[in-house]
Amino acid sequence: MTLRVLTVDDSRTILAMLHHTLSNAGFQVLQAEDGKQGLDVLQSQEVDVVITDINMPVMDGIEFIKNVRASGQYQSLPILILTTETSQDKRDQGKAAGGTGWIVKPFDPDKLISVIHRVVH
Amino acid sequence: MSDLDDFKATYFDECSELLSELEEQFAAIEAGERDADRLNAVFRAIHSIKGGAGAFGFSGLVGFAHAYETLLDYVRDGRVELTDDVVTLCIKANDIVADHVSAAKNGEELPAEYGHEEKVRFDVIARGGSGAGSEDDDMNGEIIEEFDIEFTPVRVELKVDEAEESGEDDAFDAPPLEAAPGSWEVRFTPFRQLYARANDPLLLLRELGVLGEMSVRAVMHDVPALGDFEPFGVYCSWEITLSAPDLTDAAIREVFEFVEGDCEITIVPLGATLSRSVAPAGMPAAAAEPGVADLLALTEDEVADVAARPAAAAAPAVEEEPALSFADLADEIKASAPPRPVAPPPAPKPVAPPKPAPSGEGGEDGGNRSVGVQSIRVDLDKVDRVVNMVGELVITQSMLTQQMDETLRARYTELVRGLEVLAQTTRGLQDSVMAIRAQPVKSVFSRMPRLARELATKTGKRIKLETIGENTEIDKTVIEQLSDPLTHMIRNSADHGIETPEKRRAMGKSETGTIRLSAEQAGGNILIVVEDDGAGINRERVLQLARDKGIIAPDITPTDEQIDQLIFAPGFSTADAVSDISGRGVGMDVVLSNIKKIGGSVHVRSWTGKGSRVTLRLPLTLAVLDVMLVKVGDSPYVVPLSSIVETMQCSRANFERVPSGGQVLQVRGEYVQTIDVAQRFELPTQTDPDDRFVVLCETEGSQKVALVVDDIIGQQQVVIKSLEENFERVDGIAGGTILGDGNVALIVDVQGLRATQFHKNAA
Amino acid sequence: MEALAIRDDMGDKTAVVGANTLQLIAFSIGEQTYGVEITTVREIRAWNGATPLPNTREFVRGVINLRGTIVPIFDLRARFGDGQTSPTKNHVVVVMSVGDKWVGILVDAVSDILTVSRDDIHNVPEGNAIDTELLNGIVTHDSRMVGLIDLHAVVSGAKMDG
Repeated sequence: MTLRVLTVDDSRTILAMLHHTLSNAGFQVLQAEDGKQGLDVLQSQEVDVVITDINMPVMDGIEFIKNVRASGQYQSLPILILTTETSQDKRDQGKAAGGTGWIVKPFDPDKLISVIHRVVH
Repeated sequence: MSDLDDFKATYFDECSELLSELEEQFAAIEAGERDADRLNAVFRAIHSIKGGAGAFGFSGLVGFAHAYETLLDYVRDGRVELTDDVVTLCIKANDIVADHVSAAKNGEELPAEYGHEEKVRFDVIARGGSGAGSEDDDMNGEIIEEFDIEFTPVRVELKVDEAEESGEDDAFDAPPLEAAPGSWEVRFTPFRQLYARANDPLLLLRELGVLGEMSVRAVMHDVPALGDFEPFGVYCSWEITLSAPDLTDAAIREVFEFVEGDCEITIVPLGATLSRSVAPAGMPAAAAEPGVADLLALTEDEVADVAARPAAAAAPAVEEEPALSFADLADEIKASAPPRPVAPPPAPKPVAPPKPAPSGEGGEDGGNRSVGVQSIRVDLDKVDRVVNMVGELVITQSMLTQQMDETLRARYTELVRGLEVLAQTTRGLQDSVMAIRAQPVKSVFSRMPRLARELATKTGKRIKLETIGENTEIDKTVIEQLSDPLTHMIRNSADHGIETPEKRRAMGKSETGTIRLSAEQAGGNILIVVEDDGAGINRERVLQLARDKGIIAPDITPTDEQIDQLIFAPGFSTADAVSDISGRGVGMDVVLSNIKKIGGSVHVRSWTGKGSRVTLRLPLTLAVLDVMLVKVGDSPYVVPLSSIVETMQCSRANFERVPSGGQVLQVRGEYVQTIDVAQRFELPTQTDPDDRFVVLCETEGSQKVALVVDDIIGQQQVVIKSLEENFERVDGIAGGTILGDGNVALIVDVQGLRATQFHKNAA
Repeated sequence: MEALAIRDDMGDKTAVVGANTLQLIAFSIGEQTYGVEITTVREIRAWNGATPLPNTREFVRGVINLRGTIVPIFDLRARFGDGQTSPTKNHVVVVMSVGDKWVGILVDAVSDILTVSRDDIHNVPEGNAIDTELLNGIVTHDSRMVGLIDLHAVVSGAKMDG
């Protein structure tokens, strides 16, 4: 079964790199440019795992995660936080909001894939 | 192009957009709009630039952006006040970021100390902002922190947690790394919130299994009798032994990286004291409960069933639970549907949530649609191919229409109607395709504020740059050609137009001069206007210089308007002393030639003491040209319609011989230079002189020229093709085009003909 | 406008082409035979007129439309100083790539595809200035002299003032 990954980031560069790495690894990749768009995607698509940035316009990653977890149907959807934060603040906030794990930018492709396999069947 | 190059190209595109946005945001911030949205947008822009730079290893850019980002973060959360000084520093910082970006783009290395001064100021301001307080150390650490040491703090804190929670256990006092690597005992007790964050013990166990040979024992002494079983309770823990050569506890801990704090985890070398931490009394007690064994005997489906049945009543059950130690999560757990049911492993994966009815028409296909993305990125070559083909289509369509004479029209009304629809659709298609290539002028406008700032610094003048209509869209190729002319025009305004503050004060003007850059669409053209409220063109001086340089003859007295246009003459410069800004003798003539190249025109107006205005009139697109098809000798030529004033038969034209042997045309009292194109191009012509035609054209600076051709065939649209692609530039020819019959017609370069004619006459 | 595709019956000849051999397309101008390396040839088409280019030397016959791009045509006879060709439908334009540009050469006829050894290529004898300017070398094939065209030289100096 092809796993579907929703990537949420306002940086086209990061979206492109994620898309490249993930689709090469056999994932189907969906994209959104902020949390609001991410929620829209989740409304209409089945997704196996989410990778989201924290700093985004319109709706940031923390709000996005909170909204996903509050929606009821995505209680067990793994959400990975994409972060460059050197302080642990954002990571902790993301976890408190319901984030499953995190990926530190700049990411190593192999590490990215192994992290996804850590949180999704 | 490699993938990496692709990503880089995307990154630099994105950077230039982000830098434009920074310019825009700071223009508003400077004007006093300092709301949270703007500050957040600024922060995000720098953050994104840094993020990508990290991915490509642009360390200089990362370092600077990181320091800047830290300051912005403090500004954003109010720890640092956004004073005018800070704004000025930020604007300077934006320029430095832009320099780093372009250095990275060009593969250059900026000196290590570049931007160091600003970095230090970020630090000073950030320290000041934190006040005298406990945070000082922390912040200082963050500023100087290396970008890539991400994981270290995690590990340290994990150790601290364990030490606190199992402080009585001697085994944990020994430094883990000193234990002989190889075989380990791991005890893993998940807490409820581990599930709430969608982590799954099964996956963690599976990942552990990859590390080496593993055996797992579920510890279920806490599992209650079935009657007391609470579906969302957490009852299970696991004891795991793992062995592999060189297996370190760090590798094991990494597996549990995400669930740190959401579980209790102990790792000790095999054979150490782990057994002590397992309550020995627990097992018999649990075993004595009949419900446990029954539960373990259930199949996966039955477990799911058990788990699902009470789900509807779950919410009250959760509320009755004693308060969890993770208060922050309790609300969310209560407010939402229950987390994944906890059952002995393997935990059944809950049934996938029902797919909501697709919104709108998207059926099965909806699955492949990437809903969130509103744009796709397309290779410009592909767009150009479409543009070219649409151009050809437009031409074919207009050819078809021309074929319809009155008889045909009368006979085939359906065909006529069909052609009309085709014409409309083709137009629509053309507009849509052009819109794909169109870009807001913002991308060049946004580079100008920095230029104005630099010019103000260099000249000691006070200059405010206003931009209007930056969302006006023009063809991408035109935009690319705009940067140099705009730069020269703004330099010219700053250097020659705007006066010094003292002078302005003396004249009763505000000390700060304004340069206004605007763009608007007017019919089939885009007007770009650069105006300033400076001194205006010094006509006396311009005329004097033009005479000194032999640009105009001493006996000619040009009008004011003609004098103004002289500033575009090649080699003309009015700078009293050659400054390093715009007095290099190349400048406004560059503006003219660049704009001409893309089929535009330039016009200047000046009001002494009040200012000047330069207007660029640009075509919306470069792909299709409206032309008049003419015949010279046996060859087809086209003349751009935009330069034609009128046409007339030679028999009705009023030619006069001039002493030099040439001919001039007298039109409404004006004498116009006349060029016989056949003669000029040395093409044999048999046409009776009276049957030939005059095409009266206007070139730059309202100069007229009369072209004599053998026949006028009609108007049409053509796609411009380059001669240089396979040949070289030819004097008097602006390019070629392919006619409906497949033959090549050459485009007459009216301005060029006129210039070479002068040359010939002079020789 | 019909294009004569390069014949594909040259398969048997390519079989013997080694590192030291060269395949030429040979064409004639009057009694003379010239050749260009086959890899530079893009297409061979019948003469169908050209739009004259003003301000160019007499050996520039004009430009044609080659599937949407404009390609200049050089009259090889005129280039060798023997006056302009009076082309008919039987004359041939050999379209070749020179650097990153495509050009057409007007010749009387395309005669053959030749396989020659690089060792058999001789320097152009001194004496005829135009020959030394426009030829890379001379090779003898079946007792015919074949001049190897230097395409870069042929297309240079096309403008009046150049």
